[in-house]
Amino acid sequence: MKKLFRTAAVATAAALALAGCGGGGTTDPSNVSPTGEVKAREISWLLSRPADGAVINIMKKLADDYAKDHPGFSLNLITTPDRPSYIQKLETLAAANKLPELFDTDATPFAQQLAKQGKMVDAEKLLKSLDVYDDYRPSALDYQRFDDGSLHMIPFQFELEFIWYNKALLQKAGVSAPKSLDDIPAMCTALREAGITPIAIDGQDQWPLERYVAYQPFREAGPDFIQKLKKGEAKFSDPAGQKTVQWLASLGKAKCFQDGFSSQGYSDAQNQFTSGQAAMYNIGTWELPSLATDKLNPAVRDDIDFFTLPTTEGSVTAGNEFVSPSGIGMAVNAKTYDPLVSDFLKFALTKYPSEYAATGALSPTTNVETIVPANATPLYKKALEKANDLGDEQAMPWDTQLDPTTNGRLQQELVLLVQGNITPEQFTSTMDNAVAQNAPKFFK
Amino acid sequence: MLPNRSRLSVLVFLLPPLLLYGVAVLFPIMQSLFLSFFSWNGISDMEFVGLANYVRMLTADDIFWRSFFNALGYLAICLVLQLGGALLVASLLTSMSRGRELIKTLYLLPAVISTVAIAFLFVRIYSVEPVGLLNQLLHWIGLGALERPWLSDINTVLTAVSAPEGWRFTGLYMLIIYAALLSVPKELEEAARLDGASRWQLFTKIRFPHIMPVWITTTIMATTYGLRGFDIPYLMTNGGPGQSSELLTTYMYKTAFISTDFGYASTIAVFIVVECLVAVGLILFMLKRKADA
Repeated sequence: MKKLFRTAAVATAAALALAGCGGGGTTDPSNVSPTGEVKAREISWLLSRPADGAVINIMKKLADDYAKDHPGFSLNLITTPDRPSYIQKLETLAAANKLPELFDTDATPFAQQLAKQGKMVDAEKLLKSLDVYDDYRPSALDYQRFDDGSLHMIPFQFELEFIWYNKALLQKAGVSAPKSLDDIPAMCTALREAGITPIAIDGQDQWPLERYVAYQPFREAGPDFIQKLKKGEAKFSDPAGQKTVQWLASLGKAKCFQDGFSSQGYSDAQNQFTSGQAAMYNIGTWELPSLATDKLNPAVRDDIDFFTLPTTEGSVTAGNEFVSPSGIGMAVNAKTYDPLVSDFLKFALTKYPSEYAATGALSPTTNVETIVPANATPLYKKALEKANDLGDEQAMPWDTQLDPTTNGRLQQELVLLVQGNITPEQFTSTMDNAVAQNAPKFFK
Repeated sequence: MLPNRSRLSVLVFLLPPLLLYGVAVLFPIMQSLFLSFFSWNGISDMEFVGLANYVRMLTADDIFWRSFFNALGYLAICLVLQLGGALLVASLLTSMSRGRELIKTLYLLPAVISTVAIAFLFVRIYSVEPVGLLNQLLHWIGLGALERPWLSDINTVLTAVSAPEGWRFTGLYMLIIYAALLSVPKELEEAARLDGASRWQLFTKIRFPHIMPVWITTTIMATTYGLRGFDIPYLMTNGGPGQSSELLTTYMYKTAFISTDFGYASTIAVFIVVECLVAVGLILFMLKRKADA
């Protein structure tokens, strides 16, 4: 029983800590220029990024550089790459009012509540005070904004999500890259008939399938649909909602995803695509080193290409508008914000973009140019160039938008819908009820 | 009857573990009970809601009931595999003269492997793309029609996530039951044999009644362990697809740490505590009634 009780104990401990701390920091979150002496100490960053990834490596290096001039300073990186575990840690620490100086979060309803309680520094003011605000891509900042337009997280990445495909496999099945989202079910049927798995997907992590639910409404009704849906002002039974429900059901009927996808992970899906077993794979530019360099399996290397999110007939958003996230953002704890944190951020944020671009990644700022790695295929540059031609709107991933309970239910029901275990009508009814029950608590 | 000084020593030595038990077990239960009357997301003010969480849980939460019945199914499969398997293997071991230690070690081995490793191992065993061991075996023996994605099929997933837990602890219970079987007086068995008792009669009339106290203990252990089952199902399927392998424990965890609904999660925790107490009570009641009959 201990494990069960541990959960309750953590919640209780958090309750007591909250009661003891009486509601949090007293610092004004809009005061981004604290006065006083810079006193070196260790500061911590609670983060959910790959442990050996570029962001962490660069920030470690910058922290070491900063420490040379500020003896006693160090940056303690508390890494939990697994997102569900990270969210649990973040929420528990937030409940106990023990968040460190810096912490990662998406622009979720939970993060918005933290911001409303004055626990996060106003990032827009902060970036402006550091004179770097104008360097950022507007869409990188927009991705981090809450519904009210306020900005409390700083982006460290900029990514574009494409549908990668294997030209040879499509040719074998006698199909070409889809012109419309509505072409995809028929494409899947043709690929299946040719003995090819149409789409490789990481079903275990749930967010990859949730991307698909966002596509049709984004084309049919634009980015506002999810903003309204999450608050219960729009429904799955509305035309845009029904478009996606029926489309997802048709993807399932056409057996678009690999058999048993719901229990397969990230590397399983990637292996299926890069080994030439699956024809398509929906993933972002963070996978460029695996998909567009000489690391890619030579047997498929020349056959790989990508297309951006197809439009539909009567689409209200354009072909150059799709999912372009700037990754999980970094929030600055208002309670612990002091001259040292401010000074370090100024040092790090001004040096970060050039270091990051040198790794071959897209910087969230426009003041540096990405250096294409020497082992890249021509596809690498082609993918990066899409960043120069982006439209004004971007499709937001729904997992950062919905309240957590509705989001969890959606992820569960989506699998059932796509596997054909429930009907579109059952899905619609369940999800509309879930939104109606849970949204008011988060968006009142 | 212990002399006064000895009784005092016993009390003094019992007090620290009792205090530890109070702090580690009883206090969190009381706190969960307290929290279950509140609505609280961890960062806002706690709001007293009375019995609303209990009413919601019992009357308006389809996932709760689905999880409850899944947990009963999970428990049934675990008990059959753990206790049934353990009794069978332990009985067979008593009639073996060679290789007994090797068999015992092999059966006990899964109990010492980490849960995470077991979960990943079974995900691979059940896999359909690439073909896992189970589907490969079915193909080899000509039962290819039964091949399926065991963890994605809503009809097979609950059994699929229960089996590793059952497999894991069969060896542990086997050891306990085996030790109990060794304590059955040989003279009694010998006398029964001389009276013409069959092997089955020997087992049902002599051996099993003799190990009854140990059997009750192992049943209680396996039941409470089964009801708290969490890690393997959570790691293998995260309760999915849909809610097909959702257990009360995984649902409680998600409610607390994903939905940040700590009050409602505490309500589910209280239910699990009550459920465990009821289960143990029922086992004792049924076994006592059987013994009295």
